[in-house]
Amino acid sequence: MNSEPLRPELLAELKALLVETLMLQTPAAEIADDQPLFGPGGLGLDSVDALQLVVALDKNYGLKLTDAEAAKGVLQSVAAMAAAVAKKSA
Amino acid sequence: MRVFLITGANGGLGRAIARAFLAEAETNQVWLGVRSQRADAEALAAEFPGRAHLVTLDVTDRSAWDATVTTIREAHGRLDVLVNNAGRHEDSLLATMPPTAWSGVLAANLDAVFHGCQAVLPTMIGQRAGRIVNVASISALLAPAGQANYAAAKAGVVALTQSLAKEVARIGITVNALCPGYIETEALAGMAPERRTAALAQVPMRRFGRAEEVAAAVRFLASAEAAYITGAVLKIDGGIL
Ligand SMILES: NC(=O)c1ccc[n+]([C@@H]2O[C@H](COP(=O)([O-])OP(=O)(O)OC[C@H]3O[C@@H](n4cnc5c(N)ncnc54)[C@H](OP(=O)(O)O)[C@@H]3O)[C@@H](O)[C@H]2O)c1
Repeated sequence: MNSEPLRPELLAELKALLVETLMLQTPAAEIADDQPLFGPGGLGLDSVDALQLVVALDKNYGLKLTDAEAAKGVLQSVAAMAAAVAKKSA
Repeated sequence: MRVFLITGANGGLGRAIARAFLAEAETNQVWLGVRSQRADAEALAAEFPGRAHLVTLDVTDRSAWDATVTTIREAHGRLDVLVNNAGRHEDSLLATMPPTAWSGVLAANLDAVFHGCQAVLPTMIGQRAGRIVNVASISALLAPAGQANYAAAKAGVVALTQSLAKEVARIGITVNALCPGYIETEALAGMAPERRTAALAQVPMRRFGRAEEVAAAVRFLASAEAAYITGAVLKIDGGIL
């Protein structure tokens, strides 16, 4: 994981991407950085949402999550996604 | 602009489907997937310069699929419609069916559709739009004697279609299957006269279908009007079933 602090712009950008790609009813500003995307207390995403996120991260950041394990790790929260994107472009 | 990929496009049905899309709009770009034979597809492409393109695509070969999608994306930046039309049969009684006739027919008709869908989905998901039309067969529903391999493969295509349709419905992608009956193409041309007569007797309309009559349904399923149709299995058989 990246030890650099996560850029707030990147976090905001990813939240916007999440809302737009998945047509979420939750406004981007109400998504917490470390809020789980899946499961209890989370945003309530499912496997089809995950599929769309994998494609969106590749399309927008060139981040390729080819195996399910890698995808699971990155698609934990907006912060985890930001860390993976930052690491990729570092 | 809409971009189409049709597999098995040198065949009778594939050419008719390609022609339907080429006639539909001047802005349509149509990719014709061919394998061993290409002369008829080349002749068709020559009628529509700059709008019809040949691509070598053995549908059982996953790397060929990936290369095809890359080529199309480089050319147009998008892919709107995939028609999985390539297919073949190799009939025999199961008791005496060579295992290669089983595996070969499954690979060309069913595995191919899996590879094709998987190859185009990242593009279609990224677009949040796409249409997939799978050409199955009435044999999927009739399961005739002598076609255990082909019927199983095409029934598999129907099930794959319905399953995938549910997975991607929310993303704006529709997936539908067609089940043609007897259609007048090269595939039927080799039929012995007495088999032809027997086959005609099975068809309430007392005639075989024309490739254009199947192509019209494909064009409709790929059109904006068909936006709410997904997971459908449309038989086009003159009333056999
Ligand atoms: N005609 C009918 O009565 C009828 C009825 C029901 C369903 N269908 C289905 O309709 C589709 C089109 O059939 P058609 O009537 O147009 O038959 P066709 O004239 O024999 O054309 C079939 C095409 O599929 C291609 N193909 C076969 N295996 C391939 C592979 N591994 N990779 C790439 N291309 C491959 C053939 O190419 P090559 O020349 O390289 O072999 C050919 O161009 C098929 O899926 C067929 O099962 C037809």
